[in-house]
Amino acid sequence: MRPSCKPHEHQFSRRAFLGASLGSLALPAVAEQLRKEKRQILFIWLDGGMSQLESWDPKPKTMFGGPFRSIPTSVPGIHISELLPETAKLMKHLAIIRSVSTQDNSHSAGVDRIQRGDPKNRGVVYPYFGSAIAKLIGAGTSGLPPYVWVKPMNGGFIYKDAGFLGPQYGALALGDGKPPENLIRPPEISPDDDNERNELRKLADRRYQAQREKKTVEANSHAFELASQLQKRVSLFDLSKLPQSDQDRYGTHDLGRHLLLARRLIEEGVTFVKVTSYGWDTHGDNFNGHASLVPKFDRPFASLMQDLSDRGLLDQVLVIVISEFGRTLRINGHLGRDHWPEAWSICMGGCGIRKGIAVGKTNELGTDIATEPYDVGHLFHTWFEALGINSEKTNYFNNSQPLPIAHEEMHAVKEVLA
Amino acid sequence: MNQPPKERGKPYPLPVQATRIRFDPKGQNIAVAGIDGIVRILQSPELKLEKELKSHQGWVTALAYLPSGELLSADSWGQFCCWSESQLRWSHTAHQNGIRAIAVSPDGKDCATCSRDGLIRIAKTRTGEKLRERIIGVDLFSITYSPDGQTLAIGDLFGTIRILDQQLKTVREFRQPEFHLLDRIQDVGGIRCLLYSHDGKTLYAAGSQPKTGGFVQGFPRLAALDPLTGAVRWVWKGASESEGFIHDLCLLPNDRIAAVTSGQPGNGKLLIWSPPDANPIFQSTKIPNCHSLDLDPKGQILAMIGTNANSSGNGRVKGKTGEYPANHSPLQLWDIG
Repeated sequence: MRPSCKPHEHQFSRRAFLGASLGSLALPAVAEQLRKEKRQILFIWLDGGMSQLESWDPKPKTMFGGPFRSIPTSVPGIHISELLPETAKLMKHLAIIRSVSTQDNSHSAGVDRIQRGDPKNRGVVYPYFGSAIAKLIGAGTSGLPPYVWVKPMNGGFIYKDAGFLGPQYGALALGDGKPPENLIRPPEISPDDDNERNELRKLADRRYQAQREKKTVEANSHAFELASQLQKRVSLFDLSKLPQSDQDRYGTHDLGRHLLLARRLIEEGVTFVKVTSYGWDTHGDNFNGHASLVPKFDRPFASLMQDLSDRGLLDQVLVIVISEFGRTLRINGHLGRDHWPEAWSICMGGCGIRKGIAVGKTNELGTDIATEPYDVGHLFHTWFEALGINSEKTNYFNNSQPLPIAHEEMHAVKEVLA
Repeated sequence: MNQPPKERGKPYPLPVQATRIRFDPKGQNIAVAGIDGIVRILQSPELKLEKELKSHQGWVTALAYLPSGELLSADSWGQFCCWSESQLRWSHTAHQNGIRAIAVSPDGKDCATCSRDGLIRIAKTRTGEKLRERIIGVDLFSITYSPDGQTLAIGDLFGTIRILDQQLKTVREFRQPEFHLLDRIQDVGGIRCLLYSHDGKTLYAAGSQPKTGGFVQGFPRLAALDPLTGAVRWVWKGASESEGFIHDLCLLPNDRIAAVTSGQPGNGKLLIWSPPDANPIFQSTKIPNCHSLDLDPKGQILAMIGTNANSSGNGRVKGKTGEYPANHSPLQLWDIG
């Protein structure tokens, strides 16, 4: 199958790389090259841990396989769970890695380590993937923040995602897919008054900054800048203006609405959009749970992939579906599955990714990986390479300390790269 | 039942996890539905494995004996089978996906199934041939005939109970919203079992009053309803959200009713009520995570299945010999006197 784009077609030149190494990746030449090529990421986080057996790596008729069947997909030889019928039709656009093996079986450690790429301990807090991309690629010309997180519940500016990169690379979280509260200037405040107030705020910031930690003020100022950007684009969040057919295809539940908003944000040029769905930690009633949850992922996800394909956006958008781990093979007494980082699966598609492929295998029962295991460090290399970023030679700089952008003892999963 | 039930011997160690258990009409055999697709027939009360019935592909999820002694079994892939003398008499793909429950008409001529696909299907028990069907369109968990055979009661994921006539037209519909929760994007709960009293004047609905999805915390819940009006006569709600679901119900002599519950691993009870008192007259926690129970036709032995202790754990839990262990279901008999 012909990939939509090939990583070597948009690797950095040596000069660009040297520029990056010397001056960190925020250097205009590098970021500009990536921006010019327009690379975007849609990162779907199914929080709690989607079961690999009820999704990408079904094992019907086996001891731990669960009650569901597997179904054929649009790619001969690749079967996925019967709970994903719409996604199965679009397997031709997707790649599955079935040999993911990670380190943490707790949420508290797993969420952070997966999203930060679990690099070697360098005494700094590494950025989440979204913040890394905000640094490496930047905001582009969309006039929108580079890292937008669509999530249920509260929103806000989540600067902790940025780690050592600094708060300006944090996530703008849109709680329940809505713009931040109080974003719009109240009509009783005139534009002149508003400007005056902002100038006063900046003055206060400068005085505060003179005697205290710089990062706090930077984060605060950045949040105001983001708000200012968003004020001009509020209509983006009004999904009711989209065709009814879109709303029907994606669904009215949180995940459907949020994936539809994510499509809209991608269309508008946001570099990194993360969509989080909570509630996948099915320690109890796992099968009824997945019978309820997975279809609510399947339909909007398939709609999203189809829409990105129809718009020609899969050439530039890397789509990733991932959790902090999979779920145990063993079915507990509450008919649930517990946490299982040992052998699980992720799904990807779009920019730089081979189409219609399943890479890696678990054994017959799913208890062990039968091929080379891939940790999240491998996945970070893979994603960077898919985006055209040389993951083995590119460094961040923390002051003058060079820091590899992905675990230096790991490598990209070559089979999955286009 | 003047004395509290007593365990009859040690639990029988079924080799796999089981979903349903049913006595045959003579009380000589117990059928056990396994998640390995096998129906095991054990002699009662000796609990000696007699036969293994193999035809299902998915989990065997529902069992029902006909008055004639033939056994109906259904699975999570929609397959519906009838066994006579342990031979497969007929098999049909009755539903698109998981069959949740089977009900047999009082005269034994018809049977009804309901499924995750939202379909109710009535068939002849002699051939399995479809007589009627109706699409409700939502996940259907439970189904039972009224004692006079004139109506069917169906319970769904959203806590709705529909009373249908023989043509599958809705006669009445009751909402029991406590049995359902939309937690984030997960619909949790459902009317997991339905059971009429002997006289048909009370319809028992059971399941969970969910508190969360995912982990699924919830209070087991039993509601006694007037099947003509839907009025709630009494309700029992478990004391703790870790107790989970009532997974099965059966009638005992003297209009008593028994249930088994399963919640967070290690939680599970056998409970007995003497209606209309909503407080159980007996509770036992000796078998954890109980999934099904049945009373022998003589009214003397209660059989129940649960899940072994220590059934959960994150990551690669290892068994005694270092292997990755599967769980199994202990089968316990109780003398109820």
